[in-house]
Amino acid sequence: MTSRRVFFTFEITEESHLLHAYRERGGYQALEKALREMQPAEVQAEVAASGLRGRGGAGFPTATKWSFLAKGAPVYYLCCNADEGEPGTFKDRWVFEHSPHQLIEGMLLACYALGVRHSFIYIRGEFDLSYRRLMHALKEAREAGLLGDSVLGSAFSCQIIVQQGAGAYVCGEESSMLSSIEGFKGYPRNKPPFPAVKGLYQAPTVINNVETLATLPWILAKGGAAYAKIGTEKNSGTRLFGISGHVQRPGMYERAIGYPFKKLIYQDAGGIAGGKALKAVIPGGSSTPVLTAEDIETLTMDAEAVAAAGSMLGSGGVIVIAEGTCMVRLLQVLTRFYAHESCGQCIPCREGTAWMNKIVARISEGRGVAGDIERLEGITTGIMGNTICALGAAAAMPVASFLIKFRHEFAYFIEHGRSLNDGRLEIKI
Amino acid sequence: MIELTIDNKAVQAEPGETVLQAALRNGIEIPHFCYHPCLSIAGNCRICMVRIKGRPGFHPSCNLPAAPGMEIESDCSDVNAVRKSILQFATLNHPADCPVCDKAGECRLQDYNFKYNGTPSPSIEPKRRQRKFYQINSRIMLDRERCILCSRCVRFTKEISGSGLLGIVERADQSRVERLEQGGVEDPYSDNIIQSCPVGALLSRDFLYKSRVWYLEPVASVCPRCSRGCSVEVWRRQKQWQLRAPGADKNHMAYRISARENPEVNGPWLCNQGFDLHQVINDSVRALAPRLAGAESTLQDALAAAQRLLFEAEKPAAIVSAWGSNEELAAFKSALGSSLTVYTRADREPEAGEVVEDQLLIKADKNPNSYSVEAIFGRRPFAADAGHDVVLVWGDLVDYASLGSAKVIHLATLEPAAGRPAEVLVPISTMFERTGHYTNFEGKVNRFEQVFEKPESVLHAGDLFGRL
Amino acid sequence: MSCLTHKFDELRKIYPEEIKSSMVLPLLQLTLKEKGHLTESDAVFIADYLEVPSMQVKEALTWYTMLYRAPVGRHVVKVCRSIACSLCGEERLIAHLANKLGIKPGGTTPDGRFTLLEVECLASCGTAPAMQVNDTYHEQLTEEKIDRILEELS
Repeated sequence: MTSRRVFFTFEITEESHLLHAYRERGGYQALEKALREMQPAEVQAEVAASGLRGRGGAGFPTATKWSFLAKGAPVYYLCCNADEGEPGTFKDRWVFEHSPHQLIEGMLLACYALGVRHSFIYIRGEFDLSYRRLMHALKEAREAGLLGDSVLGSAFSCQIIVQQGAGAYVCGEESSMLSSIEGFKGYPRNKPPFPAVKGLYQAPTVINNVETLATLPWILAKGGAAYAKIGTEKNSGTRLFGISGHVQRPGMYERAIGYPFKKLIYQDAGGIAGGKALKAVIPGGSSTPVLTAEDIETLTMDAEAVAAAGSMLGSGGVIVIAEGTCMVRLLQVLTRFYAHESCGQCIPCREGTAWMNKIVARISEGRGVAGDIERLEGITTGIMGNTICALGAAAAMPVASFLIKFRHEFAYFIEHGRSLNDGRLEIKI
Repeated sequence: MIELTIDNKAVQAEPGETVLQAALRNGIEIPHFCYHPCLSIAGNCRICMVRIKGRPGFHPSCNLPAAPGMEIESDCSDVNAVRKSILQFATLNHPADCPVCDKAGECRLQDYNFKYNGTPSPSIEPKRRQRKFYQINSRIMLDRERCILCSRCVRFTKEISGSGLLGIVERADQSRVERLEQGGVEDPYSDNIIQSCPVGALLSRDFLYKSRVWYLEPVASVCPRCSRGCSVEVWRRQKQWQLRAPGADKNHMAYRISARENPEVNGPWLCNQGFDLHQVINDSVRALAPRLAGAESTLQDALAAAQRLLFEAEKPAAIVSAWGSNEELAAFKSALGSSLTVYTRADREPEAGEVVEDQLLIKADKNPNSYSVEAIFGRRPFAADAGHDVVLVWGDLVDYASLGSAKVIHLATLEPAAGRPAEVLVPISTMFERTGHYTNFEGKVNRFEQVFEKPESVLHAGDLFGRL
Repeated sequence: MSCLTHKFDELRKIYPEEIKSSMVLPLLQLTLKEKGHLTESDAVFIADYLEVPSMQVKEALTWYTMLYRAPVGRHVVKVCRSIACSLCGEERLIAHLANKLGIKPGGTTPDGRFTLLEVECLASCGTAPAMQVNDTYHEQLTEEKIDRILEELS
């Protein structure tokens, strides 16, 4: 395996998630080096040099986020966002199931860098194997003196508490997660104040994604500059790209940022199932605007390029849609999702997501009427930018983009009361 | 002070103020539902969004700290387009209940809808049905279809009254306000949520369907039910909407009570006893006719009898009322203060089931003007064994037996209890039938305005003292 | 309730007292495991134990979808209906399950054996279509695979 890999550096076996296997592949050496030879500020500097950007979906530069932390507070918290719920995304699961110690080591490095002594992992309540392997890894870490008072015999101490979610996609939004960890329903919070100033229990808090944190051991072991050499100039490193939908070999593929979409789809994932043509690609999880086959013809998987193409690299969950799929019915799967997951706190999202779902459901049942497309467009405009958290935008962008790219399908369904295609979502082979 | 501009108008903000607070304080109207000056910031209605020049997008002004040099745009087409969207969402499932809703005429949703969204809804979906008569408690009804989930009521019970009675349960568009079914306590401040509800969702069961608010007007007054003396408004029919018979009794009816903002006494809040003041006004059985030893008489005869009793008394005494206004107490002092032995009393004691005292508003002294009484006359409970032969009793809820064998001249607003009648009974006016001042337990003086004309057969006590 | 309190006390050892409010969700989840479903009394019990407002726990109870408030079958079958699983045949499989169990999604079989639910993304997109039965994930499903799984459950 090449050194340009952060995660896919080993053969997956029945034991690769265990401590001894992680140590055999160099695990916890970065932590040892940081604790013995580096100051916290130096750890932060390595992360800054790496150009690492958050892997949760927003892609915000990690070192910059860390630098916002209010100075001189008595308590700091780090929360690992493991509430992986963005449809199309399943990479954090991979880390828990195959290399949980990589996350633990990453969290310890981050806590050391930020002066955090109590940290949390907020993990999907649905995760089973991931949770069990994580708890086992934490136990191993504690027993090996890697976690708790005096990590590796140093003056640095750190605890990790695992909180399980209980079925709410919005809890992946950082301020919703804080509400949930504090023992409330997961209502997101208005900003200001920002978590870096007043977060968990009003203490300065950093929230990072699993993959982001699990990248830190590599960066500290090999240096930030080495990481910055991988990927593109503005978007460094590798990502765990997931690919799902109508492909032969769906699954997880770690690739350097800047990798071409077509290569991932046709070479790695074996192309469209049943030899069908490609119709559409949702590039980074269901909240990102949909792109057509033409759009991704020469498109590379880096944040700037995808943004320029009118979408987002997001969580790196690529969803592939083949020719013949009914985009109206597919959109209804999405609107149903967001209407179900809206927390209910603010007017535009609570009412808007339910309204969009009703309209799209009505169209997909053959009861669309003239004006429905305009209604949907008006709703997306009314939601975007006007909500407490990004779930509103996440719900509106698919609707807006489907209407831009596939308006004719909606118009047809409304006029004729049936799908332009055969109405299927699954490929008929 | 922080200098900023709102719609090109120079505005000064206090340090720590939000743009919305600065705007409202400077008379600039930015619409808002969920913001309330005495509650935490919720930021869920999104209708207070404004634009900051030089920054993309819109920002909720209720959560936007005022910063020096900020240029806020709140009155432009972009911002109004956002307001219109928000109102379209807010009215999406809101029932068209205005013709039957008590809040009509004082409803923010109505007002903002007229101002910022004068068009029919673009929706063709059937409106979502919810429960329309959810009982919050015996006094308050919630119509869940009308509720816009601003959370003012929830925040009030959490942050102000502390009862923790209300919350918003469920998720997404199933969200609804609900009370604790188990272990919920009675909230003696519950009715504040009726007043702070920006729409017609929380309604007073007592006021339900009694009147359209545009026939009524508020009169500034003071609640006399404890020594806090909260500022209130007593609502009566407006002069031009006075009814002729049948219904003329409604012209002397107090329709409802609302809290009147007074930062020095009660803030914007009132307790339920205060909210029930109109029942006291309307339902009290008044003493209307002068009486001599129980037999109806004329005012002239009653006064003459009282004068004679006092003149002939060897050891006359008087008991002043802690419900007397500052003006009345002064008149008493100058007319009768030196010729009688003056005692004081607490006219009203806490009743069974009434909150005696708490940390918020309610005081144990259930009388409005004990402070002035004490300042003028000291504190001197009546001694039945002091040998007084004639007692001039001013005030209600008197047990004549406690006065010993003395003859009683009673100046009362209420019909006395059955039993031995007073030698002379002179009916007097209530505080709502004249203007005056009370001084609360902290020494703060609060003015009350006349709400109704006094009944003809009744006298103002202040006029009376000089004639005795 | 006292054996529950004992379990609550065990969990309390992990949490510093100043963040005891963080125990709300874990205690709800613990109680759910014991009792199968939760009511307002359970919420009030937890609130009293932690000395937090009852309404805080009640709101949380009603807001999270995994906190059942009505009895469920011995086995809860949760079929993912999000985008990737929909593209890979979820409709076909939920119809198969509904037909096989004789109930509609949301319902419980009369013998109390199975509750059938449609849920949102289980993060099994690369191994779609997927479902979760109680805690266990079952992925890359076919009708035959589903039949075998159901047979093995009592």
